[in-house]
Amino acid sequence: MDLIINLVERTGAKALAWWSSIYSVLSFLGEAFATLAMPATWNRATLDTIIKQIYFTAVQILHVYLIYVVVISWVIISITLSTARNVGLFDQATEMIIRVLVLELLPFLTALLIALRSGSAINTEVALMKVYNELDALAHCKVEPMRFEFLPRIAGGVASVLGLTIMGGVLTLLLAYLSIYGLSASGLYPFATTIASVFNMKVLLGLAVKCGFFGLAVTALPIAAGLETPKKPFMVPVSVLRGMMRVFLALVLIEVLSLALKYI
Amino acid sequence: MFKHLHLKVGLFVIAVMALALGFLFYVLNARGFFEQQQHLNLAAGSAEGITPGVPITFSGMPIGQVTGVTLNDGGGIVIQAEVNADGARWLRTDSSFTLDKPIVGGAKIKVSSANLDSPQLPDNSTVLLLTSDPSQEIPVLIDRVKTILANIDHITRQDGELASTLANTRTITTRMTGKYGVLEGVLGSEENARPVANSLKNLENLTTRLNQVSAKVDAMLVKTDRWLFAADGVSEQSRQSLAQVHAMLVDAQGSLKRVDALLKNAVDISANIKDGTQDLAKLRAEVDESVSKANDLLNDINRMWPFGSGDKQIKLP
Repeated sequence: MDLIINLVERTGAKALAWWSSIYSVLSFLGEAFATLAMPATWNRATLDTIIKQIYFTAVQILHVYLIYVVVISWVIISITLSTARNVGLFDQATEMIIRVLVLELLPFLTALLIALRSGSAINTEVALMKVYNELDALAHCKVEPMRFEFLPRIAGGVASVLGLTIMGGVLTLLLAYLSIYGLSASGLYPFATTIASVFNMKVLLGLAVKCGFFGLAVTALPIAAGLETPKKPFMVPVSVLRGMMRVFLALVLIEVLSLALKYI
Repeated sequence: MFKHLHLKVGLFVIAVMALALGFLFYVLNARGFFEQQQHLNLAAGSAEGITPGVPITFSGMPIGQVTGVTLNDGGGIVIQAEVNADGARWLRTDSSFTLDKPIVGGAKIKVSSANLDSPQLPDNSTVLLLTSDPSQEIPVLIDRVKTILANIDHITRQDGELASTLANTRTITTRMTGKYGVLEGVLGSEENARPVANSLKNLENLTTRLNQVSAKVDAMLVKTDRWLFAADGVSEQSRQSLAQVHAMLVDAQGSLKRVDALLKNAVDISANIKDGTQDLAKLRAEVDESVSKANDLLNDINRMWPFGSGDKQIKLP
C-alpha cells in the first residue's frame, strides 16, 4: 500500500515539476512577447544587441554552415537521384529533393546547429548570471534583463535561423539543379515548374513560421532553463543539460506538428 | 573588439533578404503570377486522381496545372485549369486532352495537338477530358492470369498427364541407356531388341555379298560392252546384216507385188497362158532367188545375234 502511495506521490511530484517548468517557459515567452510589443523596447541599445547576437549566431559560423550544407545536400541529392533513377522515378527526383531536404531536413539541421552552438552558450551565460546575482544587479540599476539581455537574444536567434535556412535552401536548390541538369540551361523551365508546384504560398508561409518557431525554441528555452537555475554554481551544468534536452524535444515536436499539419 | 561587426551583419542581412525576395519573385514568376493565364474547363466522367496541382503537359513539357475540381448541376465533373500564355499557343480547337494515370507516379493531363494549323483554343473554353487508366485493366488481366494458372495447375497436378508423360519419358530414356540403346527404348526390352539387332547384322552380311555380286556383274558388263561395241564387234556386223535384210525385204516385197499382179492377170486373162506360164516361171525363179537370199541372211543373223527362240521366220506366201 505504501508502495502505491509512494508511486502516486512521485508521479504527482513529477507532473507538478513538468507543469511548473512548462508554465515558467510559457510565462517567460508571454513576457517576451509583451516586451516586444512595447514601443520602448525598440531603442538603439536593443537593436545593437540584436545585431551582435546575429553576428555571433549566424555570421561567425556562416562559412562552416555553408560547407556543412553543401556536404549534406550533396550526399542526400546524390542518393535521391540514384535511387530515383533506379526505380524509374527520375521525373519526381526534383520534387523529392525539395520536399525532403529544403522543406524538412535543412531547417531542422540548421536549428540543431544553432542550438548546439548558441543555445548551450546562452543557457550557460544566463545560468551564471542568475547564480552570481548579476540579473538582480541589472534590475536594481533599472536595466530590465528581458529588454536588454533576453529579447535581443531571442530576436537574433530567430533571425539567424531564418537567414541561415534561406541561404542553405537556395544553395541546396542550386546544387540540386547542377546535379540534375549540369551547367546547361535546358532544365530551367521544368525546374521552375517543379519549384512552382511545390512552393505554393501556404508552403512558403509554413516554412517561415516553422523556422520562426525553431529560432524561438533554440533561444527562449535555454534562457528559461537558465533562469530556473538555483543559486548554486554546481547547478549550472544541470541547468544546461535540462535546457538542451527541452530544446531537442521542442524541435522534434515542432517538426512533427508541421508535418502533421501539412500531410494529415 | 570585433572588426567590422556591423558591416558583416549588414552584409549577411542584405544577402538573406535579397535571396528571400529573389526566391519569392522566382516562385511567383514560375507560378505564373506575372503573366496572363488562359483558363480552361475540362469535362470528365470521374474526378478520380485529379487534384489541384495536377500538371498539364504538352509533349512532356508542363504548360499549366489544374486549379480546381467541381461538380456541375448535372452531376458531371468540371475541372478548372490554368495554362500559361506561352503554353496556350499549343492548344488548338482540335487538341485532345487525356488524363494519364500511371500505376507508379502522379497523374497528369496530356495535351496533343495533331494539327497545328487549326485555330487556337479561346479562353474559358470547355473541352472533353479522355481517360487512359491502366489500373482499370488490371482486374481483367488478373482474371486471365488466374485462368492460365489454373490450367497450368491442372496440367502439372500429381496424377496429371504431364506427370505420367514425364514418367514414361523417364522409362524410355532409362531403356535407351541399355545395351541396345534407342532400339531398346522403342521396342520395350532387351529381348525384343536383340532379333532386330541380329537382323541388322544379317543384312550387313547380305549387303557385303551383294556388293561382290554387283562387282562381278560390273566386270561382265564391261566385257559385254567391249564385245558388242568394238569396231569389229557384234553390233557393227549386225548393223550391216540388218541393212542387207532391209534391201532383200524390199526386193521380196517388189516380187510379191508382181506376183499379185500376175496372179490377177492369170485369173482374169487365161488366154495368154503361154505368156503367163513364162512369166510365172521367171517369177518363180526370182522368188526362189529372193527367198534363198533371205534364208542366207537369216542364217547369218541367227549365227551372230541371239534373237531369241528360233521359231521366228519370215513367212512367205
